Amino acid sequence: MLSIPDTYPIDLKPFPSDLSMPYTLTPGRAAGIFLAEIGNKRIVGSRFRDGGTVAVPAQDFCPKTGDSEFDLVEAPSTGTLNAFTETEAGIIGLIRIDGSDFDFPHQIVDAGYDDLTVGDRVEAVWGEGAGESILGIKGFKPSPKAPVGSIKPLENPAKQVEVVPYRMDLHYEHAFGPYYGRLFDEIKTNRRIMGVRTSNGEGALLPPRELDDITHKKTGTWVEVKQTGTVRACSVIHLQFIGQKQPPPYIYAEIILDGALTRLIHNISGIDMSRAKELVKPGTRVRAVWRDGEPTGSLADISHFEVIGGEDERS
Amino acid sequence: MPANRVAVISSTQTELRGNWSGAQHIDLIAAVVTDVFKGTGLTLDDVDFVFDSGSDVLDGRSISNCGFLGAMGAHHKEESRIEEDGLWAALYGVTKIASGAANVGLIIAYSKPSESDPNAFYKSQVEPFYQRPVGFDHRAASGIQAQRYLADHGVSEKQLAGLVSNRWASASAGRRVPLDAVPDEREVLASPSVARPLTQLMMSRPTDGAVAILIASEDIARRTAKTPVWITGMGMSGDRHSFATRKAGTLEACEAAATSAFKQAGWSKPTPAVAETSASSAVTELMVLEAIGLARPGKGLDLTGDGKIAVNKSGGSLPADPIMATGLVRLAEASRQLVYPAEYGLKSPTTAIAHGAGGVGMQTHCVFTLEV
Repeated sequence: MLSIPDTYPIDLKPFPSDLSMPYTLTPGRAAGIFLAEIGNKRIVGSRFRDGGTVAVPAQDFCPKTGDSEFDLVEAPSTGTLNAFTETEAGIIGLIRIDGSDFDFPHQIVDAGYDDLTVGDRVEAVWGEGAGESILGIKGFKPSPKAPVGSIKPLENPAKQVEVVPYRMDLHYEHAFGPYYGRLFDEIKTNRRIMGVRTSNGEGALLPPRELDDITHKKTGTWVEVKQTGTVRACSVIHLQFIGQKQPPPYIYAEIILDGALTRLIHNISGIDMSRAKELVKPGTRVRAVWRDGEPTGSLADISHFEVIGGEDERS
Repeated sequence: MPANRVAVISSTQTELRGNWSGAQHIDLIAAVVTDVFKGTGLTLDDVDFVFDSGSDVLDGRSISNCGFLGAMGAHHKEESRIEEDGLWAALYGVTKIASGAANVGLIIAYSKPSESDPNAFYKSQVEPFYQRPVGFDHRAASGIQAQRYLADHGVSEKQLAGLVSNRWASASAGRRVPLDAVPDEREVLASPSVARPLTQLMMSRPTDGAVAILIASEDIARRTAKTPVWITGMGMSGDRHSFATRKAGTLEACEAAATSAFKQAGWSKPTPAVAETSASSAVTELMVLEAIGLARPGKGLDLTGDGKIAVNKSGGSLPADPIMATGLVRLAEASRQLVYPAEYGLKSPTTAIAHGAGGVGMQTHCVFTLEV
């Protein structure tokens, strides 16, 4: 049985991280018109030309045959409850709109889980100011006497919704593990940058790791690398982009710290930015500048790197 | 030209823990990649390609495999990432060796769902215009599968609880899944409701861990493995993305994957001695066994006794579901049971099935047949 030796007691809490991604989703013709018609309180479906299969809500492709030739239709707001469950999101049912050949999921409202039976008649409950979302239909409620509706041609369809703004937020708690754990613990408590020697003992790998990437052999002992180093690549960033930590312009740099073999990504500042291209180049010597205040145990504890005058390795 | 034979020659895994809080992905991966060569006489130099499975969404970084290449031993090697369960990575690798394009492949899968929220992972797979806004997700799909299964076949929630308890007990006995306690029926039924009628303990339990296997062509397998485990059939299939439009009450894609694998293996009837399967809930555990053909529809519970087929001796995926690695763990487990049957209280099994799955409500399926 293999288990990992916990070689170093980790007292750092996991590293919290959020991914927050904005999207502009393209619903396409069928869903785009379905969403546009929500404002008119009309439910739109697709009738596929090859065989007359009907899908509600509207689809660009037949779920059964893949057929993409279809006419949009107006579906009734009544149907049958074919299955249901209750989760933290509420009661979710599979609904078959009258005249449709397929189920779709939606909320079941105005009923408790125990009041429901598979096969119940249901009808749509519209929200106020329905908008351009399927949630313009709040859900479906039991309606024992709802007459069986029928599919009709869609008259004067609304202009389709072209884009749906969307955002996905994902939260993470990343474990450091024994090697990154010591690296960030040393940064936090001792302002030391620790690497491990390569498997052949020459120079240090930063960040430290159990196995040498190139040889896949065990790395060697811990070693503190210097807080000075040499720029090996850099770019003056003028572009704005999502997830950026500081307003441009700033200097992105890949720095090999003295004693290390690998590049550390950080920023260079403290210079006249109008002369950035001239003052910071591959070969420029730099030194870490620590941030004042409570240490966080991350690379943000180094505020930036500053240029060491007169040490450029090319001069 | 007939395809070359391919065998599993070695496999290893970390413990499957609820939370590997003291290890990163690379620590888990490095551990299994180092260990998998032991006893084979092979080294990383002998490996022609590295295929791996994991999820960018679960890992919280884009193209996450690129950050793990060093730990995977993939430096300057052919490496490919499969954004499906690791059993698909194995399928890809077997195909490559069978074609004669390579001799030795390293297959890796890993998972750390403890670092994120598996519900958000599954939700990200749901269609965003019609389904995601109304709260439809993996749990809802599982609840609906359960409602139908119980109603169609007269199976009770208590029986599901018994199945769960049984699987956790097997996992606990196997030492690869550390568990504080094995819940009894009453505790399974009393755990919080997740998707009625399913409770928390009736859902598979996400776990952290990594698994690695070595596969090789026939001549190398015969020279390196104590008992080469021949991969004699493989099949995979994907159902419709939209859960609501799939055929109700069955897992058609699982059936198709199994049929394809059995045909390749030349099995007229699926009567393996060992079966290791994946499931997202106690109900889909039964539905998978039935779709593969090990039991008639609604009769999956009959397999939980001491029948002819050793089903999920490892405990299966209910007590330990390292999402994206679960299917490859099944291949590792099934191979181990064929090579070391005494460890599992088995006599001398010669055939096995390994099954993996993916997606919301188990959309995709992959089945391997194994023989020794």
